[in-house]
Amino acid sequence: MPAITLYGAEKNYGGNAANAVSNLDLEIDDGEFMCLLGPSGCGKTTTLRMIAGLEHLSDGRIAVGERVVDCVSSGTFVSPEKRGMGLVFQSYALWPHMTVERNTDFGLRLRKVPRAEREARVARVMETLGIEKYRDRYPSQLSGGQQQRVALARMLAVNPDVLLLDEPLSNLDARLRLEMRAELKRLHEEFRTTIVFVTHDQWEAMTLATSIAVMNEGTLQQRGTPNDIYDRPANRFVAEFVGSPPINIIEMAAGSPLAASARTYFTRHFPALDGIGSVGMRPEALAIAATAEDVPSGAFGEEATVSGVLPTGGSWIIELQCKGAKLFLTTHLAPHVEDGDGVQVYIRPEALHVFDDQGNRHGKADDMLGTGAGAKARKTVQPMHA
Amino acid sequence: MGSRLMSVVGTPVGRGAVPGFWRRLRYRARISMREPTTLLGILVALLFAYLIIVPIASLLVDAGRVQFGDERRIGAAPGEWTLYYISRALFSPVAGNLFWAPLFNTLSVAIGAITISLAIGGPLAWLVSRTDMFARRWFATALIVPFMLPAWTFALAWTTLFKNRSVGGQLGWFEAMGFAPPDWLAYGQVPITIILALNYIPFFILLFGNALRRFDSQLEDSARMLGARSSTVAFRIIGPMMLPALMSAIILAFAKCIGEFGVPYVLGLPVNYDLLATGLYRSISSRQTGVAAVLAAAIMLIGVISLLIDARLVREARKFVTVGAKGAMSRKSALGPLRVPATAFAALIFLVSVGLPLLTLSLSTIMRVPANFAWSNFTLDYWIGTDLETVALRTGILLSPSLWSAAWNTLTIVGTASICSGLLGLLVGYVVVRTPVRPLAGFLRQVTFLPYLVPGIAFAAAYLSLFAVQRGPIPALYGTAAILLLALVADQMPYASRAGISAMMQLGKDPEEAAQISGAGWLRRMAWIVVPVQKGALVTGILLPFISGIKGLSLFVILAVPATDVLTTYSLRLVDYNYTQAANAVVLIIAAIAYFGTLLAQKLTKTNLADGLGT
Ligand SMILES: Nc1ncnc2c1ncn2[C@@H]1O[C@H](COP(=O)(O)OP(=O)(O)OP(=O)(O)O)[C@@H](O)[C@H]1O
Ligand SMILES: [Mg+2]
Repeated sequence: MPAITLYGAEKNYGGNAANAVSNLDLEIDDGEFMCLLGPSGCGKTTTLRMIAGLEHLSDGRIAVGERVVDCVSSGTFVSPEKRGMGLVFQSYALWPHMTVERNTDFGLRLRKVPRAEREARVARVMETLGIEKYRDRYPSQLSGGQQQRVALARMLAVNPDVLLLDEPLSNLDARLRLEMRAELKRLHEEFRTTIVFVTHDQWEAMTLATSIAVMNEGTLQQRGTPNDIYDRPANRFVAEFVGSPPINIIEMAAGSPLAASARTYFTRHFPALDGIGSVGMRPEALAIAATAEDVPSGAFGEEATVSGVLPTGGSWIIELQCKGAKLFLTTHLAPHVEDGDGVQVYIRPEALHVFDDQGNRHGKADDMLGTGAGAKARKTVQPMHA
Repeated sequence: MGSRLMSVVGTPVGRGAVPGFWRRLRYRARISMREPTTLLGILVALLFAYLIIVPIASLLVDAGRVQFGDERRIGAAPGEWTLYYISRALFSPVAGNLFWAPLFNTLSVAIGAITISLAIGGPLAWLVSRTDMFARRWFATALIVPFMLPAWTFALAWTTLFKNRSVGGQLGWFEAMGFAPPDWLAYGQVPITIILALNYIPFFILLFGNALRRFDSQLEDSARMLGARSSTVAFRIIGPMMLPALMSAIILAFAKCIGEFGVPYVLGLPVNYDLLATGLYRSISSRQTGVAAVLAAAIMLIGVISLLIDARLVREARKFVTVGAKGAMSRKSALGPLRVPATAFAALIFLVSVGLPLLTLSLSTIMRVPANFAWSNFTLDYWIGTDLETVALRTGILLSPSLWSAAWNTLTIVGTASICSGLLGLLVGYVVVRTPVRPLAGFLRQVTFLPYLVPGIAFAAAYLSLFAVQRGPIPALYGTAAILLLALVADQMPYASRAGISAMMQLGKDPEEAAQISGAGWLRRMAWIVVPVQKGALVTGILLPFISGIKGLSLFVILAVPATDVLTTYSLRLVDYNYTQAANAVVLIIAAIAYFGTLLAQKLTKTNLADGLGT
């Protein structure tokens, strides 16, 4: 199965709109399951459509394996029907005049697959997706989730080398979604299909992907394994976009009491560290202790007041007021605190995310705090989780 | 090659370097030409440039150049530029007869007709769309029947009733019964205005009723909640919001009315009461090509101005539409004690505008002498008789070979033209929506809309002016079916292309892209996805032009010759020969085809004429 490479890919829809995608360098390795993650309008669909060939480039180059499929400077363009990819549309794009069955076997008919094999494959795919009941219905007679499954079945039936999925599970209920995820994962493992998957759902990205590319406003922010993205976000945007509840950020320049106390902590423990713009603390990396004596030595701790305890089923979110700032903490152990309790909140240094003035990850801080070399952030290293 | 070029020029090549202008252009050109869409679009654009722009331009040029036969009068060689025709039409002693009187008549007839039809059609639109009038649904269909019939059907019904002795031929019923209708009632401005008014009532019911239906009752309700009285709601909320739609309907009706030919032909020509359209016809028949061109240009100009005003109003209206678009809810007002009078009013209008004319026409075809209701006076001879004592038409109309040859011509010529324009319309829609070359899309959109600005009679004059003689490789087409076919296709393009564009817009590009991803090439996608999905749109796009083509008159009356006689021209000839019964019979046949054809089209496509007209 081929790798897909984008070199400086750029897309402008014309007019005086900003680039939908800018200077995108992205390698999707052979057999990878890559998730494109990012806020609405950041260019995920555009990227997928460029790979599929439905959108031509404004600049740059795209190669599939050794073959250049789109290149502005050499004028190469391979049309979508010759790229041999599968794309599941965000809007499903089912053919309204064909039944579910005809929709599903369309690609196989095109490829002139013999009838017996065709029927077997269609039956199998329809069964997997649970749509065999609807085989003779027209798309307009299906619910959104059923249509989505037909859209998926249509592409899975031909078993393409590269499968591009644009939020294919967004309309399914929780159970079905779980089953479909497992099915996609199985499919990926069985056929080693290269999959590019767009999703809004970080949890989905974390569980499915072998690697994640986070985009914002048309540019690539970070590409790495799910753990990389979560544990070593390359910049503030990635840190804040990934994770729920969101990461707690201390703006050092803001001059708040909490920032002052953080500054004191860094001067005392890491005097050589400078250029700190902000500090991030994941909610689950925060911990509480009853008194200052219980805070481990070397950890960054502060007094705080509990202002809310929210059970979320199996875990808890604790809201804290700490020196005028609000912090979120999550825990899987039943907390023995209530509203208004005074506590000590603390975090170990290796769990701190330090960003420089530009909002990029502070490489030197990683070395000093022991969070691992920032330069190696792209490699898969099992993090030392707090 | 591109990179070599660039290194020669000395610009750094490679990633990050801005690719040269030429390389970008070449890439874009390759993208555009990768699929036949753009190429097809260019071919279609060329075709329409030839079928639409060239004839109109040629007509306009005729108004300013010396025509053959006028050399001596003007004192210049044919083809030289001259202001003679313009000054003759506008300023000479005959200008009054030639131009100003017809212009004045046209405007007064149009304004009169529209005022009357608005006064009747407006309330009817409200009655059928927003009230609990009895048999509301039935009236909603019944009252728009005149729209499906040719306007001059009603003109013939009028002459059947009111014709007097000042013109030869069979008498009208009133004359036959002893009341002699005065000339002003039998011919000219009054009957033309009344017939056109009756014919345009459905136009207001459809256009204005549509807007009323879309009006969201919640807007009314919220005003009521704030304490507004019904009259306040009507004048402050509904009135202002409906105004653009109403104005737009008025102007569209006006533009159509200006080009109206059949009614003034039947009711005006006998007493030399000319409108611009009939004046144009007169000039063409008397071979005054130059003056005809001036008249045609005047009609076009009025059309263009009206449409420009309409475009403004539509833009205005669009601002409002969004207000009530979502969750629009329309509630019917209770008429209370007015329910019966309102229903009676609608019934009366139905009777006058549909029932009476059709009944008169039908009866006239089975009566030997007008207005004699004795049993012995009734006969089916005019339909199926043989060995009649007339000069030319010695059999009943259904047994006459001329009828069947005219019917066959109609079917083949109009049918072929409709199929062509339906397919071309879909193709235009496809190219407009799909081509990456935006200027091409814009050009196609506009060029196919152009004939809408040009009334049929002017368009026919334009075709005559262009194709009457051999030009380059194109032989003289006058007198052939080809000229009719081309003119019909061009004339129907505004409707066909609009239908095609909106159908393709609605389909969106996703289904086709999905097929492309599945590996289907262009031809496959057309055959398996686009055409099957657009089957309904295609049927409408063929049937509706077919119906309007069948009842159309102005193109044929100028471009058809006896060999290419169609039903409309055949019936007009019968009128001219005073075979009243036969003429009326042919008109009824046309009306029946148009009516049942419309019903069939609506059935097949599950659409409503009312919806199609609103766009
Ligand atoms: N056909 C188009 N013409 C013009 N602009 C477009 C077009 N398609 C997308 N855009 C713009 O390009 C940007 C990226 O759009 P894209 O559809 O790739 O976003 P996305 O990441 O898929 O968002 P979502 O998560 O909401 O689907 C947006 O700002 C969008 O407005
Ligand atoms: Mg998207």
